[in-house]
Amino acid sequence: MAKTLTMRDTTDREKASWLTLKMREAMEAWLFISPTLAGFLIFFVGPLIAVAWYSLTEWNLLTQQATFVGLDNYEDALFRNPDFWHVVRNSVIFAVGLVPLNMALALSLALPLSGRFPGVVIFRTVFFAPVVTSAVAWAIVWKFLLQGEAGFINQILAQIGIDGPNWLREPNWAMAAVIVTRVIKMVGLNMILYIAALQAIPRDYEAAARLEGASGWQIFRWITWPLLGPTTLVIMVITTIGSFKVFDHIYQMTGGGPENGTLVLAFYIYQQGFQFFDVGYASALAMIMFVIVMILTLFQLVLRRRDT
Amino acid sequence: MKTTMKRVTTTVLALGMMSGPLAAAELRFTIWTGNEAHLKMLNGFAESFKAKHPDVTVKYETIPPGDYTQKLTFQLAGGNPPDAGWLMEDAAPTFASAGVLENLAPVLNKAEGYDFADFSKPALGLWTAGDKVYGVPFSTSPFVIFYNKDLFDKAGLEDPNALAAKGQWNMTKFQEVAKKLKDTSGKWGFEFKDGQGYDTRIMHALMPPIRAAGGDVWANKQCGFDKPEAVAAVKQLHDMVFKDKSIVPPGEQGDYFSGGSAMTINQISRASLMPKAGFKWGIAPLPTGAGGESPVIGQAGVVVFSAGKQKQLAAEFVAHVTNKENVAAAAQFFPPARKSVLESDAFIKSNNLIPPEQMKVVANAIAKGRVLPAHEKSPQILAAMKPRVDALWRANADVEASLKAICTAIQPLL
Repeated sequence: MAKTLTMRDTTDREKASWLTLKMREAMEAWLFISPTLAGFLIFFVGPLIAVAWYSLTEWNLLTQQATFVGLDNYEDALFRNPDFWHVVRNSVIFAVGLVPLNMALALSLALPLSGRFPGVVIFRTVFFAPVVTSAVAWAIVWKFLLQGEAGFINQILAQIGIDGPNWLREPNWAMAAVIVTRVIKMVGLNMILYIAALQAIPRDYEAAARLEGASGWQIFRWITWPLLGPTTLVIMVITTIGSFKVFDHIYQMTGGGPENGTLVLAFYIYQQGFQFFDVGYASALAMIMFVIVMILTLFQLVLRRRDT
Repeated sequence: MKTTMKRVTTTVLALGMMSGPLAAAELRFTIWTGNEAHLKMLNGFAESFKAKHPDVTVKYETIPPGDYTQKLTFQLAGGNPPDAGWLMEDAAPTFASAGVLENLAPVLNKAEGYDFADFSKPALGLWTAGDKVYGVPFSTSPFVIFYNKDLFDKAGLEDPNALAAKGQWNMTKFQEVAKKLKDTSGKWGFEFKDGQGYDTRIMHALMPPIRAAGGDVWANKQCGFDKPEAVAAVKQLHDMVFKDKSIVPPGEQGDYFSGGSAMTINQISRASLMPKAGFKWGIAPLPTGAGGESPVIGQAGVVVFSAGKQKQLAAEFVAHVTNKENVAAAAQFFPPARKSVLESDAFIKSNNLIPPEQMKVVANAIAKGRVLPAHEKSPQILAAMKPRVDALWRANADVEASLKAICTAIQPLL
């Protein structure tokens, strides 16, 4: 039996001898990755190309009429539509407010929670729980807490003599409120990433530094922080991308209001496409967002490379 | 031979089984109610449709009202159109002008005993264009004031119906009682429809007082928000929210239906929530203003989608659900646009939660009322209004300037 197999094996090899080993390996590799590749092409590259094409048309979802308009949608968004720049500004404010706050909080939670002490798992779970909580439930609860005079937060503030604002009804406060509630919701994820990175740092480094008389701050500044660099980069990139893509949170909490104060890019795209049914224009905006996020990511990567 | 016979029999049987479902048809009908009583009634219509079309079944598909128009659009755009469905008034012009609604006139005119002329002309405004009929209104429901009788009694105030009988139920009185109710009970004097009015249902909040004052939000493609009547009406409303603090302000929750507010504005379909409310209540007309009695009506229609594959059958079903008999049956939930039903005694007695004399308020409002404003660019108009309306609903807002800003924003769209 074994002999037969060997014989057939040899025959097969002889038959395929026109293929070099390298080519055969390449072919096998392609076969192995083809299912994933097919999925990637169909569900990612395909829609991306479709969106790029739609962005060159004026296409009304309801009437199903599409006309090719070239770069008109882009021109309108970038040069004629004042709302667009207002929306980009809001998205930038959201990201600038959210990313540093999220990262700082994630790291300050991860530092103590990366250790081993009784009950540490409970603390980690508590801070991670909002990540897996339904976004809708989260927004509804916060909307209640952030009500005007009757809101829980304002009642607490009133106890210490502070007259709290009507959080979600005043543009600047509303932006602050959506940033902070979003940070509390998502910080657990970054915290876990930091905990994993902290636990991967060999204990010997810290022990050695201590022997040399380094203070806690010095250990953090010169050992822990540089070693967290790659994780910090990953966290920064995904949090920035996530903050530009934020939609559900804004949709539930403010609907882009008040006075368009929290109208961010992703929500604006939704509005154009799914409320006004102007799919062409929404696609152009989506392409612009894609480019913005891509540039930001590349910029962060370059910055990081220069740093190291 | 036996085997051959067996094979033939099996094949015949199989074909017979297959031909059953092939001959039968299923109509998919989208709605936004999940209410059991409503569904029971709708299934009854589907059942009685079988008299003429024994093999036709109707599948109702509930889509939540907040997402209704959007999800319906996706179904139409995604090549999965329902055969027929309900349509809200604000979407009617958009859908009709996009050409996605089927003209029902040929079927309705041929339907036996249908009597299309029985529908009140003003009620058909949104749904017809010349001879074409793009939908049939199934609910022509006026806005009325729901009041908490217990809170009025406790405050020693005459209730809105008593005031209306004396001809005193006007906006000034409304402001006065709302404040007294707030001051005596600590509950809110008034809340807008379903506790909304600031972020959503903006029109439902602003429209009734503006029309009572003799103004309009827009007419003949001209914005009316900045006209003196509208400014005066909205200033009064603004005072009630921020000076009297009698209307539930933006960012707070009231809830009339659990006793949190003494009055609200709504339609009679909400009466179904009242038995659980645990207080004495009533419905009254909207307060009058300088413009006299100006009832406001919310409307919804039944339509057939042009992209559907069973348009003829769907149109026949629409004719069935909007015939005299079925409109009369639906009147307890959805006030009719058929004059014969509206004027009948049966309508006045149709709702076992609302006493006949109060149902007369409803009938009177339908007869005299005008529907909420609709426009083919409704979504864009509302989105353009929203930030300016946000600015209006701030305690220190300049009401007139905010209303001017609304007009500047929406005039190009009108």
